[in-house]
Amino acid sequence: MQTYLTLMLLFPLAGGLTCALAGRKLPRQAVEILACAAVWGSFVCAALAAASYAAPQTVTLGGWFSSFDLLIPISLYLDPLSLSLAVMIGFVCGLIHVYAVFYMRKEGDYARFFALLNIFVFAMLTLVLAESLPLLYLGWEGVGFCSYLLIGFWYTDKNNADAGRKAFITTRIGDTALVIALAWMFQLFGTLSITQLNGMGFLMPGSIVTAIGILFLIAAMGKSAQVPLMVWLPDAMAGPTPVSAMIHAATMVTAGVYLLSRMYPLIGSSATAMATIAVTGGVTAFYGATCALAQRDLKRVLAFSTISQIGYMMLGVGAGAVTAATFHLLVHAFFKALLFLGAGCVITAMHHEQDIFKMGGLRKTLPLTFWCYLAGAACLAGLPLTGGFFSKDSILVALWHKGGTLYQSLYALALLTALITAYYSFRMVYLVFGGSDGHKHVHVELKFMQLVLIPLAILGLFGGVLNLPSYIGEGFLTRFFAGLAGGAAVEGTHTEELALQAVAATIALAGLLAAYVRYGKGRSQRLLEAKAYPTAMAAFLLNGWYFDRLYQAVLIRPYQALSGVLWQKVDEGVIDDSLDRLAGGLGFSGSWLGRWSTGRVSIYIVSFAAGGALMLGYLAWLAL
Amino acid sequence: MTPDFPILTLLVFLPLLGSLLVFACWRSDTLVRWVALAVSLVELALCAWPLAVSDRVAFPGAPAGFFLFEDATWIERFGIRYTLGMDGISLVMVLLTAFITVIAVLVSWEGIKERVPLFFALLLAMQSGIQGVFLSLDLFLFYLFWEAMLIPMLFLIGIWGHGRRVYSAVKFFLYTFLGSLLMLVAIITLYLMHGSQTGNYTFSLHGMLNTSVPLGIGVWLYAAFLLSFAIKFPLFPLHTWLPDAHTDAPTAGSVILASLLLKTGAYGLIRFAYPLFPEAAHAMTPVLYVAAVFGISYGAWVAFAQEDMKRLVAYSSVSHMGFVALGIAAWSPVALSGALMQMVNHGITTGALFAMVGMLDERTQSREIITYGGIWGKVPVLSFFFLMFCMASAGLPGLNNFIGEFLVLVGTFRVSPAAALGAFLGIVLTLVYTVRLVQEVLFGKENKPLELKDLSLREAGVLAVLGLSAVYLGVHPGPVLELLKAPIELLTTVK
Amino acid sequence: MSVPLSHVLILASVLFAMGLGCVVAWRANVIMMLIGIEIMLNAVMLTFVGGSAHWGIADGQLFALMIMALTSAEVSLALAMVVYLHRRKGSVNTDDFDSMKG
Repeated sequence: MQTYLTLMLLFPLAGGLTCALAGRKLPRQAVEILACAAVWGSFVCAALAAASYAAPQTVTLGGWFSSFDLLIPISLYLDPLSLSLAVMIGFVCGLIHVYAVFYMRKEGDYARFFALLNIFVFAMLTLVLAESLPLLYLGWEGVGFCSYLLIGFWYTDKNNADAGRKAFITTRIGDTALVIALAWMFQLFGTLSITQLNGMGFLMPGSIVTAIGILFLIAAMGKSAQVPLMVWLPDAMAGPTPVSAMIHAATMVTAGVYLLSRMYPLIGSSATAMATIAVTGGVTAFYGATCALAQRDLKRVLAFSTISQIGYMMLGVGAGAVTAATFHLLVHAFFKALLFLGAGCVITAMHHEQDIFKMGGLRKTLPLTFWCYLAGAACLAGLPLTGGFFSKDSILVALWHKGGTLYQSLYALALLTALITAYYSFRMVYLVFGGSDGHKHVHVELKFMQLVLIPLAILGLFGGVLNLPSYIGEGFLTRFFAGLAGGAAVEGTHTEELALQAVAATIALAGLLAAYVRYGKGRSQRLLEAKAYPTAMAAFLLNGWYFDRLYQAVLIRPYQALSGVLWQKVDEGVIDDSLDRLAGGLGFSGSWLGRWSTGRVSIYIVSFAAGGALMLGYLAWLAL
Repeated sequence: MTPDFPILTLLVFLPLLGSLLVFACWRSDTLVRWVALAVSLVELALCAWPLAVSDRVAFPGAPAGFFLFEDATWIERFGIRYTLGMDGISLVMVLLTAFITVIAVLVSWEGIKERVPLFFALLLAMQSGIQGVFLSLDLFLFYLFWEAMLIPMLFLIGIWGHGRRVYSAVKFFLYTFLGSLLMLVAIITLYLMHGSQTGNYTFSLHGMLNTSVPLGIGVWLYAAFLLSFAIKFPLFPLHTWLPDAHTDAPTAGSVILASLLLKTGAYGLIRFAYPLFPEAAHAMTPVLYVAAVFGISYGAWVAFAQEDMKRLVAYSSVSHMGFVALGIAAWSPVALSGALMQMVNHGITTGALFAMVGMLDERTQSREIITYGGIWGKVPVLSFFFLMFCMASAGLPGLNNFIGEFLVLVGTFRVSPAAALGAFLGIVLTLVYTVRLVQEVLFGKENKPLELKDLSLREAGVLAVLGLSAVYLGVHPGPVLELLKAPIELLTTVK
Repeated sequence: MSVPLSHVLILASVLFAMGLGCVVAWRANVIMMLIGIEIMLNAVMLTFVGGSAHWGIADGQLFALMIMALTSAEVSLALAMVVYLHRRKGSVNTDDFDSMKG
């Protein structure tokens, strides 16, 4: 097992370092093959580890650093949660690497691109497998760093680089909460091992557990783009599409959900923390879905839908259903990667046109992409019997069963969001693939790129078998996760479950119908409307509820302005200037006093005599 | 070599001898460079010896924890002795000094064209002074080295600097000199107090440790020490000499200033001020906390507004050294080892950044950020290193600075959660200015068409060595932490 | 018969004050200033001799002799300088020699 885990991490690390250091000297194909081989090797190791997996186990590879009682080992923890994620990461990233080889065919800077992709896989696997929290933090920051550079991959355009910077800094705000949580937990428990911490929650009063839970939530907000730290994800679409698929859909953005699931045994005991997580998830799911309604850029639609879907996962964690959340995380990784890669094919075919209102007719020119994309959209919309349907439904069921006003209203909100989701998914499909005004630009690369979509489409559509509802058969994940805290299946009668699924199915179909009426039948009219100036509501949604402008006005501008003030007014104005004045004053007083020494002997003598008289006078005054 | 071989004296005075040797070869600039490099390399190689005996329990006759020790009478009448000693902390600092001096010699290889022999002689003489500061255990001797290392720096800035170099040099000198004069007063006061209490007039650190100083006086004496060290640190609000000195200094001067001279302040605080006045130090901890926490955020915030790269890195030093001060203020084992790690890491990372700014400056004669932009495509190797050191500076885990900052934060949180919470803000603010620097130098469009050459072999070698040590300390800092462990244990339990 | 010490001191003070007055008032002429200085020195000598006689210790006498020797050396040096200065500037007014101005 130790060999598998070590190699799983070493393959992408070695691949990444080789590409980074020697990539520019190597021929292009060598770099491409090396990068893909590294990730697939890693996947094979993950699969082998899964095959030989028996029980949760901790593997210590060595020490990282230690100082007195603070011991940070490089130790990995393999349990159903980390194993399932590692296998998913290996597989999805492997496919995306292959896709990227063709997508980036014409780009010059291939070495940098593949080096970063490989290092990203290494960091992501470290994040998932880490047993000690600082090691998790290493992965956590590592993925953020790779994301930063990959978003800004086309760095000569200032907007891309700015988007990368925005992502890096916004997520860093969340990371700070994570470091605070780490320092605090070390103070409380004297250890930073996840397995030990998870067993120690009962030692602490509820209020502290709540506070730690909320710190973890803030960390997750940053990484997983939850309200209010979600502003970076739509902008992150400036990166190449494979990057969006890999980092900003399938893996990195779900790290927050993973973190909360991982720490669930510790923080799950606090009802307040759980409720906060659930509310954050619910609000984010709704926010993302509404914004996706009005987007015109294909990738931004998908970005907002990612925000919304991660909101669902958060809802699942908040409802105490870690299995459901992970189930949705896995299935979402498949279908969202599929959608992004499909979008990449569409964008390539459209010569980098991303406005969905300028597309159309691709159903005929790109049939393979169309069918795969349709499968992805069906999953996203939660059409019955797709993987997305089952996974989303398991979260809804968990919410329903949790009971209480809060969770019931969150259930209602989630249903409403599901309706919107189905609607915007098919709005996108109808606009992109419907109509007849098609272009015909099929490159050689595009043929290979489309092939990658097929396995993802199959996994997305049939992902439901990972965890079938109990009335059909025992779910695989439920059984697999049974030993985990929060992994237990939700108890409910089969009729109740069926009824809830029927509701969800109806909602999804209603959304599909609405989209058909507005964008299927009324397509030409919508296209005309799109040319007009957007209504206030549409602009509000298009701009993501104007959060960007708010932050610009409240945070960024004041920060910039104040930094200038601090520098020129405080630092140079007050501190430095006062010292300069002091020095100047000393110099001036010195030269002023120096005027006394005129060089005229007479003045010296008079001063001398006056001084002597003064002293004598003083002595006389003392004596008398 | 026998155990009695005066290795510490050799470590201190070899560079000084080297500087004389450099003068002897004044006819050929090339020869001067090679001699200086050879001397600094020999010095670095000599560090292997203390490293080899660093696991020795104690040196006979030495205070606890010191595995190398030299003691001789010097001015008997005033109880001044020539006492050098090395424990883990000194060793780490001596190694850093030897290492950074090699780097400093190499980065000034081509940049310095005038009065070459004098430059390298001063550089080596300064190294002598710094090594002396890190090794002396007699307060008088310490003071002597403390002042001696200032003078070469004054000339380095004043003669080979840019811009308002004389202003900056004088400012640097006045600031630090004012502080050290106050320290001298405190040293003499303590000397007299100890002498009148015990009848034994001595300047020896370990002799004076058990002087009973009334808290009322102790606070003033400690404050004088603190002021002197805080100016060197530099702690907010005593930092304004630093940006000027850095900006106007030649590259090697900036590297040494940032990597070594700033460390002497922190070292003095740990070695002298805290052990000598434990109660007073404890009483004044809040002052240090406030200065540290405020400095971390303030430095980072002001750095964000800078337009001159050197100035930006200088303000970032204020912020990074705030972490060191925070760790010292907490005075817990974990925080203190974090502070010392941070000293080493800051030395490497910031030294590297100054070296890189110097390399860019040599190419374009401009340190303004606005000159650059989009240089990634033109100079990929240089950009790679630039990004790496910026990220190290921002505390990316896996690179060196993270270890120090993490230990400081975790260690401080235990002692004073409030102070640590203030410092966490620095994590975000650090990234903000670092990313701005990376963004505006490496990314975006070219602002001006620049003729840039990528790194020469010498430059690439320097940066590769620095980069490797940054990665090594980030991935496997164990050996350094192990060296620091024993002395920190002694320091924190005495209190 | 012996003169009381107080009388000697009073005389010395008067002499000293006269010498000082001469130096301060007659500064236009270096020669007059030198004379004033000599008078002050004599006042000091008188004090020494008076003290020596009063306490019966020879140290004061010794100092008086010492000052005499010193004065003769000083006067010869000072006069030489006056001659030199007069040659350079054609003046013996001290206020003309202000090159040491601060």
